[in-house]
Amino acid sequence: MKKSLESINSQLQLMGSGKYMLGYKQTLKMIRQGTAKLVVLANNGPALRKSEIEYYAMLAKIGVHHYSGNNIELGTACGKYYRVCTLALTEPGDSTIIRSMPEQTGGK
Amino acid sequence: RPYSHALVTGIDCYPRKLTAAMGKKKIAKRSKIKSFVKVYNHSHLMPTRYSLDIRLDKTIINKDVFRDPALKHKTQQEAKVEFEERYKTGKNKWFFQKLRF
Repeated sequence: MKKSLESINSQLQLMGSGKYMLGYKQTLKMIRQGTAKLVVLANNGPALRKSEIEYYAMLAKIGVHHYSGNNIELGTACGKYYRVCTLALTEPGDSTIIRSMPEQTGGK
Repeated sequence: RPYSHALVTGIDCYPRKLTAAMGKKKIAKRSKIKSFVKVYNHSHLMPTRYSLDIRLDKTIINKDVFRDPALKHKTQQEAKVEFEERYKTGKNKWFFQKLRF
């Protein structure tokens, strides 16, 4: 478990070269437009919000929605000084995160 | 409008519950549907997995309707008729159930 967490983190850092949106409202907008490729959720978000985003992503057939650690951790993984609960990747850039995501959740 | 929006038609007043014991007149009265037509911001809508394929006449139901109250009334009538027809066939049950919240 710990190992996969670190690999996600490293890929989130690479994500800086691609395009992403942080925050609940913006991720929803991206999902609605269909431009989001992957949605990442922190594990301490409110459960209702979590299931709402999962539902939207399920309808939009968007990549995979995966739970990392805390929202503080997700924020640091993105290189930000604030907390991030929800995150949507629009363009992957150098990151291999979108390819490796399905494998991890498939393994679960 | 500066935000992403959608034209929505739906049911305002749901048809009431029917039982086997009711006579024809009563059933007819209780099956009435009141419809609405409105433009909503996407973030005020919740998408569902349900779909309803009903042909709605785009020449009658469109965004210009909101300028003229008579036209709007006509649009609502059109939608109402379509919905009632579909309700009577008994398909798309979820759509005609009262949304509880």
